[in-house]
Amino acid sequence: MRGFLTLIRLDMAIWRKTPWVIATALIPPVGMAILVTMLTFAVTRQPVALVIQDHSPQAQSMADIIRSDTDTYQLYQTTLAGAQNLLKKQEVTSIIVIPKGFGKALATDGAKVDLTLNNIDYDFADDIRRSISRSVAEFDAPELGVASSRSVGTSVIPSPYRVNPDETDLRKTDVDFLHYQVVPVLILLIINVGMLSSAVLASRDRERRTDRVLALAPVSPMARIAARLTGGLLVTFLMVIPVTWILVATHQIQPPDGHWWALIGVLGVTSLLSVSLGSLLGVALKKSTTVALAAVILASYLFFLGGGFTTIAFLPDWLQTVSRIVPTRYAIDALRQSLFYPDLSNVAKNLITVTGFAVAALAASVYTLRRAAR
Amino acid sequence: MSDWWAACRAGMRLQTQQFMKGPLLIVLTVVEALTFLALVSLFGLTGSKAPTALVVNDHSPLTASFVQDLAKDHDSFRLEPTTLAIAKQRLAAGSVVDILTIPKGFGASVAAGRTVVLPVTIDNVDTDLTDDIQRALPAAIQTFGLQHHFNGIRLAPVEHDLLSYDTAYVPYLVVSALGLDALVVAGALGATAMAGEWENKTLVQWRLSPSPMSGLLIGKLIAVVIVSTLAVWVAALLVFFGYGVHPHDAVGTLAALALCCVIFTALGAVVGNLLRRTLPVAIVFFGIALPLYIDSGSLEPERFDGHWLWFFGHATPVYAAVGVLQNTVHGLRVTPESIPVDLGILTLWALFSMAIAYLILQRSKAVR
Repeated sequence: MRGFLTLIRLDMAIWRKTPWVIATALIPPVGMAILVTMLTFAVTRQPVALVIQDHSPQAQSMADIIRSDTDTYQLYQTTLAGAQNLLKKQEVTSIIVIPKGFGKALATDGAKVDLTLNNIDYDFADDIRRSISRSVAEFDAPELGVASSRSVGTSVIPSPYRVNPDETDLRKTDVDFLHYQVVPVLILLIINVGMLSSAVLASRDRERRTDRVLALAPVSPMARIAARLTGGLLVTFLMVIPVTWILVATHQIQPPDGHWWALIGVLGVTSLLSVSLGSLLGVALKKSTTVALAAVILASYLFFLGGGFTTIAFLPDWLQTVSRIVPTRYAIDALRQSLFYPDLSNVAKNLITVTGFAVAALAASVYTLRRAAR
Repeated sequence: MSDWWAACRAGMRLQTQQFMKGPLLIVLTVVEALTFLALVSLFGLTGSKAPTALVVNDHSPLTASFVQDLAKDHDSFRLEPTTLAIAKQRLAAGSVVDILTIPKGFGASVAAGRTVVLPVTIDNVDTDLTDDIQRALPAAIQTFGLQHHFNGIRLAPVEHDLLSYDTAYVPYLVVSALGLDALVVAGALGATAMAGEWENKTLVQWRLSPSPMSGLLIGKLIAVVIVSTLAVWVAALLVFFGYGVHPHDAVGTLAALALCCVIFTALGAVVGNLLRRTLPVAIVFFGIALPLYIDSGSLEPERFDGHWLWFFGHATPVYAAVGVLQNTVHGLRVTPESIPVDLGILTLWALFSMAIAYLILQRSKAVR
């Protein structure tokens, strides 16, 4: 037991004295967190110029509808010449013009709202097209508008479009884009720290030939392996617990009552999985530099095939099938469920699945470490 | 001058030998670059065509017309016709994000001028996804109403596009990602090449050698530029043939990528000289590439993201690189600056970064 504890202390001391490895483990999650935060600016509101050439009350109503859609448009109200200048300088994506005679044209059912669009790629171009269609439809059918989509339940209000959507939301909470995408970065942090801590220690022993010295220590091979894995696990906890605490203290994450056990379970089991995978990698590759690079690449695949940066349902069928054998998919699902939603449906199932993967990885790493120790 | 060339050739030979001794590092760096392409492609797939279970309980011509409008609705839905029971299972399993149910009697009611309620169940995992569906449905309903000239519809949008075609999202994203691939590959290899000299303490021998140090440095970096350019060209060929992106100017694209590799190799050398350790350098570049991807106009022209992000975008060469690459591949202009200006900026970056790499090396205590 004493030897076991000494080896753990040794691994933790090595880790503490290699700040570059710690930095290496932190860079991808920090980069990903910055990416997701900046993405929030890029994918939400679009800059649009609004030109009102008609002064009728109807034109003002149309303008008010557009102004009310604050989730979509970042509006610059200006003249046509000013708007064209903004479009030329790429300061706006499009120009919406409520043309002269708009009010009169409504009487003959022939009114138009002009949209000039810089359609460089169809992602934001389609966002603008959908939004302007909704704004225009709202003029004749308020039940198709922004306010109606936010209210619950739709009665049959006669509409000139003759179709009214009646929305039922599956979940009781609305999670904003930033939190939904940024929370899985916690899983990326665990994978990176867990894998790098155990992988670099394993490869370092072989690179510096200290494995031969350890082999002479009066400790059984199994105790050495257990100490290596426990050391990796402790290092991971040392990084993850303060980060989680900071996130909770700053109210970035707030697990509902009764969800703490699920959160701790997800973080713990994912840590065990990462440390086991890292040990496998450390034995397979010898040089620390290549081990670190391979660990980060593997962590990236585990993260985004697990739905950390995507929504799995949007992926092609073959990728959805691949993602079923990616353990982080279940960890990320369980993490989101335990943090964002009031119930814990599927969390137990997801936790059992991740635990299964973790135990398999642990068994494989014990086997390979034992072989390497001979 | 002949001494300088001899040193340059020796530097190239030295670096080539180092590459050959550790080919796994090159392979992993290229895999890292391809990982970046895969990452942005997966993100691109999430941006449109929401997988939607469509339950059709009515079989009239008006229903067929409405379904067609949903299918064509600005790349909003990927419709998967099914039964309600299966749709609910798929929604619970997370393989579709919403269920649209067209109720029995839809066609007859619409034809009679009555308003039909269309049940929509959304897995509102986040507000972005929910907002997209909430925008897409009224747009499809509007198209349906305008197409059939229903009474009471008084106005319609008229769209004028600046370009005659829309560039699909994933092809747009992967072209930008090529610029970032150059950053990851050339930056990581350039940094590893220089950090290796520090780590192995061979830099002192550079100083003791009678050969000019600038020749050795340039020679080493030329070898890195050649290897990283070839690696990035492999990624570019994957984009052209794997993703089916047909470049407007293939030669210009490859030349722009080579120029990017020169810049990022030199910047990599700067980072390698500053960090002096091989372990973190490749990961530093991967980590930097993630936020830079957003702040370089890779998703959409950077100018659209507001003054601050646009301003900071200019702090790195990636902004101009994306501008040039989007022009050579898709024929698009995504920066307010003209293409010659972007090219000029890239050339200045190349010269500036080479000069900085050399100055840092020369001023280092270990070399003096």
